[in-house]
Amino acid sequence: MSLKIAVLIKQVPDHEAIVQIGADGTLDIEDRYVCSFFDEIAIEAALDIRKAHADAEILALSVGGKRSVESLRRAMAMGLDQVEQLGDDSMDGADGLGVASLIAARLKTFNPDLVLAGKQAGDDDMGAVGPMVSGLMGIPLVNAATAIDVDADGGKVRMTHSMNGETWTVESGFPVVVTAQKGLAEPHVPVVMRVMKAMRAKIINTSTEDLGVSAADSTGRLKRLGYYSPPTRPQVQMVGDVNELVAVLAQRGVI
Amino acid sequence: MACNEIWAVARIRDGQITGAGLQLIEAARELAREKGLDARAVLLGCDRATADELAGVVNGVLWLNDERLNEYDAAVHAGALFGLMEARGKPVAIFAGTNDTDSEVVPRLAAMCGAAFASSCVKIRWEGDDLAIRRPVFGGKVYEELALLSRPAMVTVRPGAFDGAQKLAAPGSVEEISVEIPASSGVTVVERASSAQGGQDLSDARRVVAGGRGVSGESYQKVEALADALDGSIAASRALVDAGERPHEQQVGKSGKTISPDLYIACGISGAIHHVLGMNTSKVVVAVNSDPDAPIFAAADLGMVGDVMEILPALAEALRARK
Repeated sequence: MSLKIAVLIKQVPDHEAIVQIGADGTLDIEDRYVCSFFDEIAIEAALDIRKAHADAEILALSVGGKRSVESLRRAMAMGLDQVEQLGDDSMDGADGLGVASLIAARLKTFNPDLVLAGKQAGDDDMGAVGPMVSGLMGIPLVNAATAIDVDADGGKVRMTHSMNGETWTVESGFPVVVTAQKGLAEPHVPVVMRVMKAMRAKIINTSTEDLGVSAADSTGRLKRLGYYSPPTRPQVQMVGDVNELVAVLAQRGVI
Repeated sequence: MACNEIWAVARIRDGQITGAGLQLIEAARELAREKGLDARAVLLGCDRATADELAGVVNGVLWLNDERLNEYDAAVHAGALFGLMEARGKPVAIFAGTNDTDSEVVPRLAAMCGAAFASSCVKIRWEGDDLAIRRPVFGGKVYEELALLSRPAMVTVRPGAFDGAQKLAAPGSVEEISVEIPASSGVTVVERASSAQGGQDLSDARRVVAGGRGVSGESYQKVEALADALDGSIAASRALVDAGERPHEQQVGKSGKTISPDLYIACGISGAIHHVLGMNTSKVVVAVNSDPDAPIFAAADLGMVGDVMEILPALAEALRARK
């Protein structure tokens, strides 16, 4: 049996990109976008699995407008050859459930054994899409996996993840949604040749209409009221010795 | 069908309500009070003693007394909560924790019933009749405020966002409810091992001592000794985790854990933004570093410049002397 894997990815601002609140209250985001950190780990995990299962069929999916295409080109440059953009820029304001609904609709026909996604995206840090896809499809979920071992012939997969202070080794049959934590795989930097090739590739698009999902249904549950600066701390108080430090900590009631 | 309640999903550890669990109950109590709603704790499985203990801090406990809920299974727990909604009506909101189990269960449940979901909330308030939550985005570079427009609204709350609920003058009631429990999703636990911090969940720890490049190798023992003197947990910066010296579950920062303890002591950590984003919601931050210009001091309340190898044992000693 040939193994079928779906990888869910998203393009987000780089870790180092400057993100600040503009004068009009919206965000100014520096134009440095990359494939989300945990999503690249998911891509690499899929490539690792293919090393042991050469006939594995891997489909990378990304939802939204032109940025989703950029993340798919990254996936191609890293070594995936089957990628697909779902929807268009009308999906860029979608919430997690909107995105998950579109993906679940596409996965119905792809029929994967394994769905890999990052544990959260580097922009909204919501951690919604992976678990929501599992809920919509009614299939098992293992969040934030740090190890994965696929037994395609036995029809099962074994994973390790951290669960509230313990390390759990769990086993699931197919299909299963697994989200990637740091440590699951080490993403490699693609070679220039592949990057160039991916730049020229034609990216397949499947529209919301084709999938029977309305972009209008992908919003309306959440309404953004505004952005705020992170809480700041007062100027640091320097202390000279440990007894003084202990006295201040006692005074603040934390020891 | 709807019910005028806010549910706090109680997570129990070794028969005790966790600190974060008490904070969830406080969140439900505060927000319910403002609108004349009822706060309820939902207990999945467990025993009568735990249900009674919960009733000490909340007016009503909805106890799903079914042993099939004792072992965690994301699909079973989500399904049981779905069943509770069918049986009792949809609550106004469901509050759960930002922890490894609820981070699976709650978004899965939200998908099952088409509800609005927001994770890692640090503030919750009413905006008219809707709940508005504040949460960090872009790794904490900014915070967003979202109104959740569905019923129920589903929220995971960060530890430290609320104070723990105080005991009630008179205990609340425990209502045993039987709901349809779905079959297991097919995820079976093969092995459970307590991790490096002896099974303590870093996200729940009230006091944390973290080490960075300045305490690599054997020097890290000084961090452990100080954590021991504080009854606290140990953590590490990305430098030590990437070097393979510390396990990933101890990493604090953007690609690791985000924690909000009462006390966070950063030892030999330079204070890169990646690290600060994981700990800047701590109540009191102490930085100990040999470099007076280290950026960590900008993220700290209290700072000490000097040799970490000397300061840490002296601090541990001073803390022990105080006991």
